Amino acid sequence: MGVNKIRTGTVYTETVVHLAPERFAGNVPYQVIIVSLDEAGGRITARVEGERVAIDDRVVETESLNGIPTFRKS
Amino acid sequence: MRNVTVVGAGKTPFGAFADQNLRSLAVTAGTKALANARTGPDAIEAFYLGNFAGPQFTSQNHLAPWISTALGMTGIPSTRFEAACASSGSAFFHAFMAVSAEIYDVVMVAGVEKMTSQPTARVTEILAGAGDSLTEVLVGSTFPSLFAMIARRHMHDFGTTREHLAAVAAKNHENGALNPDAQMRKAITLEQAMNGRPIAEPLNLYDCSLISDGAAAVVLCAADRAREFSDKPVRVMGVAQASDFVALDRKQDITTFPALRAAAHGAYGMAGVGANDIEFAELHDCFTIAEIVAMEDLGFVERGRGGFFSFEGGTRRNGEKPINASGGLKSKGHPVGATGVAQICDVVQQLRCEAGERQLKRHSLGLAQNLGGSGATCVVTILGRD
Repeated sequence: MGVNKIRTGTVYTETVVHLAPERFAGNVPYQVIIVSLDEAGGRITARVEGERVAIDDRVVETESLNGIPTFRKS
Repeated sequence: MRNVTVVGAGKTPFGAFADQNLRSLAVTAGTKALANARTGPDAIEAFYLGNFAGPQFTSQNHLAPWISTALGMTGIPSTRFEAACASSGSAFFHAFMAVSAEIYDVVMVAGVEKMTSQPTARVTEILAGAGDSLTEVLVGSTFPSLFAMIARRHMHDFGTTREHLAAVAAKNHENGALNPDAQMRKAITLEQAMNGRPIAEPLNLYDCSLISDGAAAVVLCAADRAREFSDKPVRVMGVAQASDFVALDRKQDITTFPALRAAAHGAYGMAGVGANDIEFAELHDCFTIAEIVAMEDLGFVERGRGGFFSFEGGTRRNGEKPINASGGLKSKGHPVGATGVAQICDVVQQLRCEAGERQLKRHSLGLAQNLGGSGATCVVTILGRD
């Protein structure tokens, strides 16, 4: 996937999932966000690690877990 | 293009029916629709089936001929349409086009889903299959979570509140309580609707439609032959389907559905009417926020005003623009593949003045709006008395 540049962005929207599909049932509750990325442009859907975030919060990518893009508050 | 009418409509009740399978549900609805059109299977020239996930829910494929032959139809084209929650809306659109184009005179459109034989976590997994499996679903997005993110952004941009969402749920339950075919015939208070178990914040249990079994069917007929089948034919004034990205994160603005706006534009244009002419509507309230966004995209209210309008009572049965007098997906139930045709059956019932306690005062022009996924397919249908 090319150079592993750390991505940063702003939270466009968010939710906390309490009822999950089978494969994520053990992870609830977990936060899912759509991030507007600073560089590449565009948006991606990602998980949040640590503190909960709100719309317009700044976030930075952390190491992805099992290929799941993950961000934390910056 | 020639005019097309609905001459027969039939539905099963919606609910959890352990003694019914996917096929028996569809056969019940189809048989009722044929009887309602005073005809039999021999009159049907093509069979259009809407179904979202029969293979995943029941391990049965090849559904359209499996069902049409059980209805007594052989030797005709029988085809399944899949467009997530808009599956049978899409089947209806394509059936309309074929009759309108003079390929057939008389066809059946049915929709069916059998969901309650699976546990909730498995149902959630199957429903997530209507999202983008390469991006949002991989991350752990569920269907409720996609609409929860729409709700959050709508609240942020327009000042929509938790109370506004609850008002949609309470109104739909109030209507569904009067519908003998509804799955949840129970009125709820605004306070109850505010305080359900969280599913995907800010949405709680009362913001989410139900997991249901059910089927619905209609017989479509060229307008010049309608009187052979019905004394109360209903004219399809306009119908349009449009599409958009499957992944929510590909949309520039998630507080509006471009496919809905495009389908509305097409249906209004074909019917030669505008939003203000529509007297009542069945909207796709898979989640409370979806009803709010739909009434905005259809032009019933200005952008951002849907929540306020709902909270003020504008969408109740005695309001300015009654929405989901059937109880909607929220209370009536949402057997995914059946929903599009079921909405059309509900509009037909109002137009024919057969809605009993839920009968609306103004009932000459109604609209049905069926949404697939988080807006990737939308079908808008406008129906009027012939």
